Amino acid sequence: MQMNKSVAEKRIADLGMDDLPLVQIRPENHPISPDWFKKYHDLVHDFAASLTDSIQELAFMNLPQDDFMDLIMGRRMPENLSIRLRIPLVWGGKLEIDNMFLCMTFPHSYNMDRFIIEQSGNDAIWMPNPAKKVYLPAHMMNGGDGGNATSDRLSQLAAQISSSRGME
Amino acid sequence: MNIKEFLSLMESRGAKVFPAPSARDITLANNALQSRRCAMFPAIFTDLYKSASAINLGNGYIFGPIECVRGTRFPIPSIVEINMDMSGIDALRGKTVFGRNDLFWFAFDAFGTFYMLDTLTLRVLRKYDDPYRAMSDCLIAGRF
Repeated sequence: MQMNKSVAEKRIADLGMDDLPLVQIRPENHPISPDWFKKYHDLVHDFAASLTDSIQELAFMNLPQDDFMDLIMGRRMPENLSIRLRIPLVWGGKLEIDNMFLCMTFPHSYNMDRFIIEQSGNDAIWMPNPAKKVYLPAHMMNGGDGGNATSDRLSQLAAQISSSRGME
Repeated sequence: MNIKEFLSLMESRGAKVFPAPSARDITLANNALQSRRCAMFPAIFTDLYKSASAINLGNGYIFGPIECVRGTRFPIPSIVEINMDMSGIDALRGKTVFGRNDLFWFAFDAFGTFYMLDTLTLRVLRKYDDPYRAMSDCLIAGRF
């Protein structure tokens, strides 16, 4: 069943993401280059390394310091984090950092999959399109228990990494 | 390849294997899938669950018969929970979803055929006669 905007917003709210912006696209198939997986894999690392500009959002995810460092150094994806494409490649999305965002695998990325699958066969599909590179619902941004992964500490680490990369 | 070799191979690549559930949990999960008209566990999954529950490598997951708690992180849902959420979707009729990564979903049917599915439409992208290959693809493609 084709969803209008209010139905789509109601459904995404039911899935626990009431503040997730949606964009409507026409699911027209586009050719994908044969080496897309290699390019995607490389881009995922570049995207992770670019997250030094999203420290505030990452801080709300309460990642242990090792996980945080591994993520922004592009070494390892911490448990329960997913990188998604805003517009899938088959529907004309580009392999670019601007077409990616980070979110929790469970429940959010999984529920985004369900939201899209439920629209399968429609002429127009509502896609998750968060405003920033990291998506975490506002109701989960209640801070954490501090520890060694607080916002200030992570900002300090990110600044050091940016500096060592010559980004400042 | 056998289950022990598969688990050993995945662990050597960094996979986290959650402790095996009880025999009762496996039976209950199988019955729950059957009652929802999903495919029941093929022999390889019954064997797998004797040694492991969920398996996680990066963003690749094979779901276990029970929910797997992992500290403060959101738990890994059980295979029953996943298939309850997905019930009613035509493309999954007669299939049971057993795994996912950021790019693909994975399922098996009652005839022991394994599938890689498109995450957007659940269209079949690939069929596998070798379940170990399907399970490996599910986990390895999730590696960072």
